[in-house]
This record gives sequence, C-alpha cells and structure tokens, in this order.
Amino acid sequence: MSAGREVIDQDARLDGSDGLAELTGLIRRVVAGRVDSREAVDDIVQETVARLLAASHRLDGRAVGPYAVVTARNLVASQWRRADTGMRHAHRLFDPRAAVAPDEALLEREEAEAIRSALDRLSPREREVLLAHEVHGRDTRSLADELHSTPGAVAAQLSRSRAKLRVEYLIELDREPPTGQCRPVLLSLSAGDKRRQSELDAGYHLLDCGYCAALSEPLFDRRAAAAPDEVRVAVEVDADIVVVRQRGRDLAMQAGFSAAEATMIATAVSEIARNIVRFARRGEVTVTVATDGDATGVTVVARDAGPGIPDIERALEPGFTTYGGRGLGLPGSRRLMDEFVIVSDVGRGTTVTMTKWRR
Amino acid sequence: MFVSILRQGDFLIASIHTALDDTELLRFQEDLVTQIGTSRAQGIVIDVAALDVLDSFASSALRDLAQMARLRGAATVIVGIQPDVAFAIVRLGMELDIHTALGLEEGLAYLESVTSGNRAGGSALGALRGVDR
Ligand SMILES: [Zn+2]
Repeated sequence: MSAGREVIDQDARLDGSDGLAELTGLIRRVVAGRVDSREAVDDIVQETVARLLAASHRLDGRAVGPYAVVTARNLVASQWRRADTGMRHAHRLFDPRAAVAPDEALLEREEAEAIRSALDRLSPREREVLLAHEVHGRDTRSLADELHSTPGAVAAQLSRSRAKLRVEYLIELDREPPTGQCRPVLLSLSAGDKRRQSELDAGYHLLDCGYCAALSEPLFDRRAAAAPDEVRVAVEVDADIVVVRQRGRDLAMQAGFSAAEATMIATAVSEIARNIVRFARRGEVTVTVATDGDATGVTVVARDAGPGIPDIERALEPGFTTYGGRGLGLPGSRRLMDEFVIVSDVGRGTTVTMTKWRR
Repeated sequence: MFVSILRQGDFLIASIHTALDDTELLRFQEDLVTQIGTSRAQGIVIDVAALDVLDSFASSALRDLAQMARLRGAATVIVGIQPDVAFAIVRLGMELDIHTALGLEEGLAYLESVTSGNRAGGSALGALRGVDR
C-alpha cells in the first residue's frame, strides 16, 4: 500500500511526457520490489505501460497512478501463477489437454450462468434494448425511432448497459463485493466515466480494495469486453488521432480483416482524423462494420463543422497542402480504401465517408 | 514520452516503445537531434517496431529527422518497420527516402559500413564532420 500512497503524493498524471516518465519510474519501483530478474522487471513494466496507455483515455487523471500500480501488481501476481503452474506441470508425462477438457465444459456453463445472472441485474428497459441490439441486430436508428429517442442517446445507453453487464458478469464469476463502494467504482471504471470516477475517488479505492484491484484487470482487458460494432471518437487533439486509429484497427480485426488491411484502414483513419484536428479544430470519427449482401467491410465517417474545402478536386490531388504537411491526407486515404466520398460545404463543414471491403 | 535513446559506441539507438501522437513525434525528433549534437554520434538507429501506423505525418517526421541528423554529420537508419506498416506506406503514396534495415543488427552493420571512413579520421574532428557521405 505504501507504493500506492507514493503515487497520490506525487499526484502522478499522464498528461505530458514528464507524467509518463514519472509513472514509468513508479511502476518500475513497484515491480522491482517484487521481482528479482531484471528481464522480468522490464517485461512487466513494458506491459503495464502498454495497458496503462490503452486504458488512459477512460481514466480520470487521479485514477491513472493507482491504476498503474494495481496493474503492475496484478501482472506480477499472474507471472507467479504462471511460473507455479509451469513447475507443477513440468513432471507430467501424459497429455494434460485430456484432463483439461471437462473443466472447459464446466467453465462454459459457469460463464453462461454468469451472463444470465448479470443480465438480470439490468433494468428491464436496459435489458430489452441491449438484447434487441446485440442479439437481434437492431440498429441504433430503428431503436431510437421506436423509443422516441435519438441514435446518439441510444448508443450512449447501450454503452452504459454494456459497461454494467461487464461489471455484473465479473462479480458473478467472483463473489459479492466486500464494500458498498465497490459496485459504483467498478461501474465508473467500466463505463470510462471520468467525472464519476473523480466523485467516487476511484483511484484511492483501487489501492485500498484488493477485490476491485483484481477485477480491474479483466475490466480493462479490451479483448474481454463485449464486442462493440461501432467506434465513435470525438477528435480534437493529437492524442485523439492515435486513439481513433487504434480503435478503428481493433474493429477491423474483429470484422475479420487481415492485419495488413487493418493497418491500411488505421492509416486512412489517422489521415482523416488529422485533417479534423488541423483544419476544423474538432469533429467526430465513427467506424462501423458495414455489410452489403454477403460482403463485410468497415465504414469510416469523419465529420466536422469546420471551414469546409472550397476546391475538393484540388484537395484530392497528391501534393496539395495548406498546412505544411505532405498533402497526402485525402488522396492517400482514398488510395487506402475502396470507396471514398467527400462532401464539403464551405463555412459549414466536411464529411468524409470511406469504406473498405474484406477480400 | 515512451522512447529510449541509448548510446552504443559512436551510435545512438533510439527505440520507440509505443504509438506516438504528432506532438510526441516532434518532441522525439527534437530530443534526438539535440542528443546527436551533444553526444557527437556518427549514426543513429531508430527502432519503430512498436509504431502501429506510419502515416504521412510520421513518415515526413522521420524523413525530416534523417535530414537534420545528416546536417549534424550523422547517418540514419530505420529498423523494425512492420511488413503491414510498410505495405500501407506504399499504398498511401509515401516514399520514406531513408535507409531502412530489417533489425537492430542489420541497422548497426549499415552504420558501420557508411561511417568507417569518417571514424578513421579521429573523433576530435567529430563536430566539424562534413555533411556529405
Ligand atoms: Zn472495492
């Protein structure tokens, strides 16, 4: 716990390079205090930083340090577990897979049970909308029409319900939380609700509560999260460009694209998100899974209310630039994707819609 | 910023450990150019294996970096470009215009080969080293 207090005192934050350097030093101290091998320390520090960066946009500033400490501890613990399992299995002469199989079936049953119980913890309306969307494939627009709401509000509700489901599911697989504070804290972390995290002082709680510290690991594991079929990122500063392209790549991989194609999509997303930051100051990028008959693809829509582009033809010529870049943003994105449509209204904004289909 | 710069003999090895945004990339560029000056390095290896994307901005930042390094008398080699990333650069229409090598070892070997003539001249002349290679 003392290492954790250290973070709070230093008020370690991720803003700026000093923040990350400081946090990395802190993580190293936490890990080095528990692990002997230098290589293992390096590995765990790197992994912790990677996870921290992946989760940072969903964390309140004061929760970043505690999250780093807790993640480092979790990684140290799981490394011990792995080493321990390795030792116990080392003397085995038979194929361990045969013995594992029945456990897997049991595990599946337990998971299904946990999902059912977790769904029961949602309100009837939350459950209904979530199931209509996830199971029956209803899109947010038709749900919004039915509920006399807007697609944006439905998407927000869906994301809150998913966050809640994730928390309840993990609780089901574990045990009831030890304190009344745990559920709201876990929920605020799961939902990436920074204001709520700050109100609840989620960072302090993570350091003090072993239960929540242990659950924070699967909670932030993006692979374990319910697969969203839409990524929506507000784009305003440089760092948002990295966030949106990484999430766009994840979605493309989920949609079955090869790593090479997903990288092309991520590159195109990066280019058009940069155009928003440079020219329009702020906007939004959404990445969705697209279907057309049997074809599956990914559609990227970048929207801004900036000054618009007076001469689109010219903007699409390689080399045309107004900000000292290499002028490859728009023409480059067009070459990376299969379909590319740009609509710009001078004085009102620009929308770029581009799609890539899976081969 | 999650970048490390190590010195190995006459060379600097700069490793980028995570995706960098534009501001971080420019800071990295600046830090590295400064370090070339203070350490009088003859060559730099930039390991970009952790970069998820090399878009037009990142590519020109690296290209500018190589040019600035050259003006300070150091050769640059980029290592660790992932095949997927390389493929996307080509499709994007970028030309990296920088020497690239597969990995650290190959990168260092390249630097050895292009700087061996210079270093025979003695390190005291390091700061006055010519721009041409
Ligand atoms: Zn708790």
